[in-house]
Amino acid sequence: MLGEEKLKQIAQKALSFSNAYQAEVLLSVSGNALTRFANNQIHQNVAWKNLGISARVIIDKKIGVASTNAFDNESLKDVIARATELANLQEPDPGFVSLPKPQKIIKVSDDIHHATEEEMAAGAHIVIKKAQKENLIASGAYANDVSELAVANSLGVWAHHAGSSCNLSTIVLGKDSSGFAADVARTPSEVNAELVAETAVQKTLESKNPQDIEPGEYEVILEPQAVSEMMAFFQWYGPNARIYHEGASPLSGKMGTQVFGKNITIIDDPFHESVFPMPFDFEGQPKKAITFIKNGVLENIAYDSYHALKYHQKNTGHALPAPNTMGPIPLHMYIAAGDKTRDAMINNVKRGLLVTRLWYVRVLNPKMLNVTGMTRDATFLIENGKIIRPVKNLRFNQSIPEALNNVVGIENKLTPLASFEGEMISLAPTLHISKWEFSSATLF
Amino acid sequence: MCTPIGYNKNANSDIMLKKAENILSKIPSADYADVRIVDQSSEDVATKDGVVEALESSQSLGYNVRILKDGVWGFAASFDLSEKGIDETIKKALAIVKASTAHKTSNVQLDELEPIIDSYKTPIKEDPFQVPMEEKIKILLAADNAQKVSDKIAVTQASYQANRERKYFVSSIGSKIDQDIVWTGAGTDTTAVDGPELQNRSYPNSFRGQNQTRGFELVRELELEKHAPKYAQEAVELLTADTCPTGEFDIILDGNQLALQIHESCGHAVELDRVLGYEASYAGTSFLTTEKLFNFQYGSDIVNLTADATIPGGLGTFGYDDEGVPAQRTYLVKEGKFQDYITSRDTVSKLHDLNPNYNKKSNGTVRASSWSRLPMIRMTNINLEPGGEAGTGKAWSLDEMIADTKYGIFMSTNRSWSIDDRRYNFQFGTEIAWEIKDGKLGRMLKNPTYQGITPQFWNSCDAICGRPEWTVWGTPNCGKGQPSQVMYTGHGASPARFKKVKVGVVKW
Repeated sequence: MLGEEKLKQIAQKALSFSNAYQAEVLLSVSGNALTRFANNQIHQNVAWKNLGISARVIIDKKIGVASTNAFDNESLKDVIARATELANLQEPDPGFVSLPKPQKIIKVSDDIHHATEEEMAAGAHIVIKKAQKENLIASGAYANDVSELAVANSLGVWAHHAGSSCNLSTIVLGKDSSGFAADVARTPSEVNAELVAETAVQKTLESKNPQDIEPGEYEVILEPQAVSEMMAFFQWYGPNARIYHEGASPLSGKMGTQVFGKNITIIDDPFHESVFPMPFDFEGQPKKAITFIKNGVLENIAYDSYHALKYHQKNTGHALPAPNTMGPIPLHMYIAAGDKTRDAMINNVKRGLLVTRLWYVRVLNPKMLNVTGMTRDATFLIENGKIIRPVKNLRFNQSIPEALNNVVGIENKLTPLASFEGEMISLAPTLHISKWEFSSATLF
Repeated sequence: MCTPIGYNKNANSDIMLKKAENILSKIPSADYADVRIVDQSSEDVATKDGVVEALESSQSLGYNVRILKDGVWGFAASFDLSEKGIDETIKKALAIVKASTAHKTSNVQLDELEPIIDSYKTPIKEDPFQVPMEEKIKILLAADNAQKVSDKIAVTQASYQANRERKYFVSSIGSKIDQDIVWTGAGTDTTAVDGPELQNRSYPNSFRGQNQTRGFELVRELELEKHAPKYAQEAVELLTADTCPTGEFDIILDGNQLALQIHESCGHAVELDRVLGYEASYAGTSFLTTEKLFNFQYGSDIVNLTADATIPGGLGTFGYDDEGVPAQRTYLVKEGKFQDYITSRDTVSKLHDLNPNYNKKSNGTVRASSWSRLPMIRMTNINLEPGGEAGTGKAWSLDEMIADTKYGIFMSTNRSWSIDDRRYNFQFGTEIAWEIKDGKLGRMLKNPTYQGITPQFWNSCDAICGRPEWTVWGTPNCGKGQPSQVMYTGHGASPARFKKVKVGVVKW
């Protein structure tokens, strides 16, 4: 890592090479390692380090972006010159008003922890040993990501943050079953490899000999990993200013109205006690907690500087790196916890399915936000409040807004979930949903 | 003064290969080692509603060392090409070897490979990086504006992308290979909205158009401005079209949809690393287990699937893979029978142990998405061979196929895709469909979807169009691995017919 002062000098040097109306630089420094295991041994073990600078130059509402992975003077000059050249070739964007001005940013202490190769291998080995003891096969990955991010612009914005994460995930395979578990923490010593191993092994054992089950409409208990996977596309197509104003979001035109059940509150909080804090967005604007849906009513959506100025709204600090054709996307969004325990929710199911994970979720129609996907890594039939038996995996076709209108139970706690890569944690409770449409079965 | 976009300041092959050899020479004694220096350039232009929304040029230079020692791999990569940086990278790779050795249960074996000294360059007619940016913007804005055919059009988009990879590979067996791979793509995408209804049409394909290892000549041939209005009009017409009916019907899949069907249900399923469990922790495994080799009826006897990294213009075309193995053409499925996997030097050695009847070497499909990523098995061009060319079936034309269909649905251009983690149960949606009645194309249908189980589906294939309607479609967004790698792959396909498929599986 280079540190804030060094990066500030590099950013200022790069900006000094620009004579444009406005300019912005986004700098990154990263060191990553990933130990991957399969068939009960480490098979891929890698480390890489990189740095990068992306320059955005504005000339009369014309925008050019260029990037490179070198910080020497010649490269800094070149990246600014390339962005300037592109801006000069551009047509003006009438929707562009200005890069953002400096705002007060909450300072979050740098928190960096490098995991050694031995620590990562040892974490993998704990999972492997537990699996072997039960004659199961462990696969998984132990990732350590260390990164430093800085944003500066010609209007005086300066923002810097450094952080890291350790993330252990596994899928344990049996003859006809599998189980998933993961943990994410700031330091290697905080990663609970024993619990990851125990949870995945237990799921694999409980889900062996899965039985056929007819597709159709079922009540479901979605565990936190499944809820997170369900909500991934809502994050993108839901409270996104670009898509909202295009009329292509299921929330378009519904500000202030009841869009989901009254028990649904959806918050984006980059400072939640259980996540790694992210103090600013990719334009160096401050992030803060924002409620998108309160008791089922749409109250806010996510804006970056471009869409905030274009639509005369307040910037909520949700910019992604330029050029961003996806729109502003919340990265710390979760459904607020409810008042039920997981066991109490299972007790309330008459006939339904307990789903550990979803897989290959894809959008069928963004406006309706109906999605398809599969269950994966342990699915169970529940009857009269009891888990009866494991079942084979099913395909679902389900509208997310409909599901969020049919939530009848929300767990009283949020589980932190790893993003699989990078310094990011998502949060989710277990949900009890009264109707979920399964359309076909698979063979395992 | 900036360097021209796409210009590679390190493009002197001799210098870069010497640099790679210098890195290799610093690696202490190992069973095997290779070094890849990769210099990547790309440019992207995207328009939306008549405005250039993204105009970006990117460059990235770095290298990696891959060391096989004491039966395990170590891999480290860095941007830092200084002597100190190289020493640190090698030290890191060796530390990784040591950590992996502590818990190994078996040794990695590599199949034999003769050393190769060669160069490869994508044959292109017009270097996309030399075409003035003004011209690219003009082409895209014209295509964007041409989509505004109705007040129901909510979003108009056009995109262009070009990529250049200079790869410099040396290995401890004496190979020395430099490659200059260029690929280009472009397309349009129109969104029409009316109340709660939203429909899309893309030309010539969804998800950033057509992409091939060709130069700017591809963009010119696509004639985006000329074709965009027709597809925009279809998006508008879809708003009021009937919903695709539900039932078991014969379907004809257009080549651009069949390309993704091949990708998901064949391409991923034949990756030998997946089959051996190496991807179990993330993307999953495969139903095509090793005992099925040479005897499993994957499809009907007219189904012939190949992996071919030598097809001119295919997005998965190159000279050598990232282990220095020459590009090849391999039958994966011949006359319906499962024949082979796509393989690497280490996985193929495992396969020799598992199936004594298998005696082939790596078929050269290992690639990495950048200098910072570990090379792994990736699809090259995975193709459904044209009808009538592989000894079975006949070469249909699309008109003949439609005329031969009493009732069916003709579906075109992918809209959604999903498949389970062993590649059995799939579901696809397309942008558009037309009903076929008594051999004639009839009403337009919106929201078409179909679903099936892979071997049942391919065994229901009863007609494949011939070479005149065969195109190698580019799929530039194939994800795999941890850390994730996005790879560019190709799929040759012509329209084909499948019997009694579950259609209209989604309630709208």
